[in-house]
Amino acid sequence: MGTLKVITGNYAAAEAAAKCRLDLIAAYPITPQSSVVEHLAELVYNGEIDTDMVQVESEHTAMSVVQGGAVAGGRVFTATSAQGLALMYEPYFRMSTLRLPMVMAIATREMTSPETIWSGQQDAVSVREAGWIQMFCDDNQEIADMIVQGYMISEDPEICIPVNVCYDGFYSSHLTSGVIIPDQEEVDKVLPPHRLHHPPILDPDSPLALDPMTPGELLMHYRKSHLEAMQRAQDVIDDVDRRFAQVFGRSYGGMIEEYRCEDADLVLITMGGSTGAGKDAVDAAREKGIAAGLIKIRFYRPFPAKRIAAALKGKKAFCVVDRSVSFGWNCGSMYVETLAALAAGQERYASFSAIGGLGGADISYRDMVAMIERLCQIQDQPGEYDTCWLMKD
Amino acid sequence: MEYLNVLKKNPDMVSPGVSACQGCGGELILRRVMQVAGQNSILCVPPGCMAGSGVVGWNYDTGMKVPIHIPLLDNSASFLTGVTHLYRRLGREDVNLIAFAGDGASADCGFQSLSGAAERGERILYICYDNEGYMNTGYQRSSTTTLGSRTSTTPIGSALSGKQQAQKYVPLIMAMHGVSYCATASPWNMKDLMEKVQKGLEASKEGFAYLHMFSPCPTGWSFGQDQTIQVAKRAVRSNMFPIWEKSCDGYKLNYVNQTPISIREFVAGIGKFKNLSEEQLDRIQRSADERYAAIKALCGI
Repeated sequence: MGTLKVITGNYAAAEAAAKCRLDLIAAYPITPQSSVVEHLAELVYNGEIDTDMVQVESEHTAMSVVQGGAVAGGRVFTATSAQGLALMYEPYFRMSTLRLPMVMAIATREMTSPETIWSGQQDAVSVREAGWIQMFCDDNQEIADMIVQGYMISEDPEICIPVNVCYDGFYSSHLTSGVIIPDQEEVDKVLPPHRLHHPPILDPDSPLALDPMTPGELLMHYRKSHLEAMQRAQDVIDDVDRRFAQVFGRSYGGMIEEYRCEDADLVLITMGGSTGAGKDAVDAAREKGIAAGLIKIRFYRPFPAKRIAAALKGKKAFCVVDRSVSFGWNCGSMYVETLAALAAGQERYASFSAIGGLGGADISYRDMVAMIERLCQIQDQPGEYDTCWLMKD
Repeated sequence: MEYLNVLKKNPDMVSPGVSACQGCGGELILRRVMQVAGQNSILCVPPGCMAGSGVVGWNYDTGMKVPIHIPLLDNSASFLTGVTHLYRRLGREDVNLIAFAGDGASADCGFQSLSGAAERGERILYICYDNEGYMNTGYQRSSTTTLGSRTSTTPIGSALSGKQQAQKYVPLIMAMHGVSYCATASPWNMKDLMEKVQKGLEASKEGFAYLHMFSPCPTGWSFGQDQTIQVAKRAVRSNMFPIWEKSCDGYKLNYVNQTPISIREFVAGIGKFKNLSEEQLDRIQRSADERYAAIKALCGI
């Protein structure tokens, strides 16, 4: 039934990855991710896992090495943050468009400039249109579980899309909590051997050209198929959540988690580690008789448009709390996408975007309480309200 | 196998109809390399002349008879790193893993990836066909372009003329990584070239092997299509391109140049050098002399 350990989010990611019978890990340091690959190096160097580790000279190479490994039929893993993700963008985009399955952990971090190494989600959110499935965790158990689920989703023969398991740098990556690390036999039950569905693509026994010059008509066919697989992934994600729960007894709700939403009028929408503060604020509001609830967006790609629209149906007002910005919209990008998800419906809401937690700044319980108070004030006048910056001054 | 027998007996692994220019040094080298390597190989050819001429394939066809991939311009060595680790895990160490990359993909933007794989001793054979520039995109200068060369980013202008900087000498940098095998080769001496491919493939089963091949380009450099081998010969004879190897036995000079010709003789008839100044000629001559002296010293001569 697993082993309970008190560990950081980074160690949770590493311990879970170590149970996935990896062929190849690429390791390169970057704050706040480094201890993911450091811990995996310990496991490799102590002979606890039979996995090749390549200590590369950059993130560009990290993604390139695992790409070669995946093409040769390997289950591969790496982890990164912020500037590292930016440096690997070239092979990162190609990993998804070659439809190669893998899991990469991202301990999310603000993007420079101004120079910063602290938390934020701007890094992962900025590459949301690079063809990967992206999910965001808010506690260490979820990180461990989503690494395993990540491979289940990614390697599904109907999907074949790489998965980012994102969690907030420092807040999740460096803080400890109790995590049940699954046993090998349990993981083996849900994760079939990699090469069962993914034999080597480049193989002298069956020569082919991988990715020759492709005319636009055919390229569009690939893009269309990629988008369709992204939509199929929504059902697979929900299904994987159910299958995982059958073995491990833990369920997360699939694409989104709904918290006290059923009879709510006012809804906070969060993603990642600020969810806990949001739930506490919801509980406090409920004690005062305010009908508040919360939606945690778990998967940002594919975007859970239908689930969000259904969860918000009949509500009066919502606030989307982003830990990153959309430079083109004067608000958070998740807010823009939430509005897009509602555009087809007839419902009218009072709503606004809240931006906070950039560059390691805190999103506090008090911030969340204030957001609910603002929702109370505007709930009867539908419309889009000014962006709220969660700043002290 | 003796190289003439390889030429005679081994099949050509490159499809007919590749659209490289007439007289292309790169295509000639690629065909010979793959004739040595044979069927049990995986080839990576990044963007450049060989990929552009259809070797990787286009319009639903492939240009090779072995599995081939076009990696990114800057990640051939790191992509193959992943492949080699998996093939060893699969117990298929016998498969030849070969990168065939131009100088831009090797010495410029791909240099970090190349250097990293060499330092780690990844078991691959990396071949740089050096035509001294980005020929496939219309001959822009690279770090291996010879000083004074006319290229489309170092044109002949009224204020400046040709490339202002000296050539980066990549093969020695690669040898200094402590790789299993490192050698230069020229299509002028096909016996030496093909034997080095054989040695490189053997060495690539133990560690990183690097071959730097002189690849004359009639189209970019502006010389006659029937002069490729002559230009390659003059590069060796003038000490622009010494032929040497570094193996576990140390450095070895494979062509002892008893009576070198001058740089003036090397550049004669090559259009890209037409506007060289006397000062530029002197500087190229000095670096060729220094290069040959350094290699000789390493070889204990």
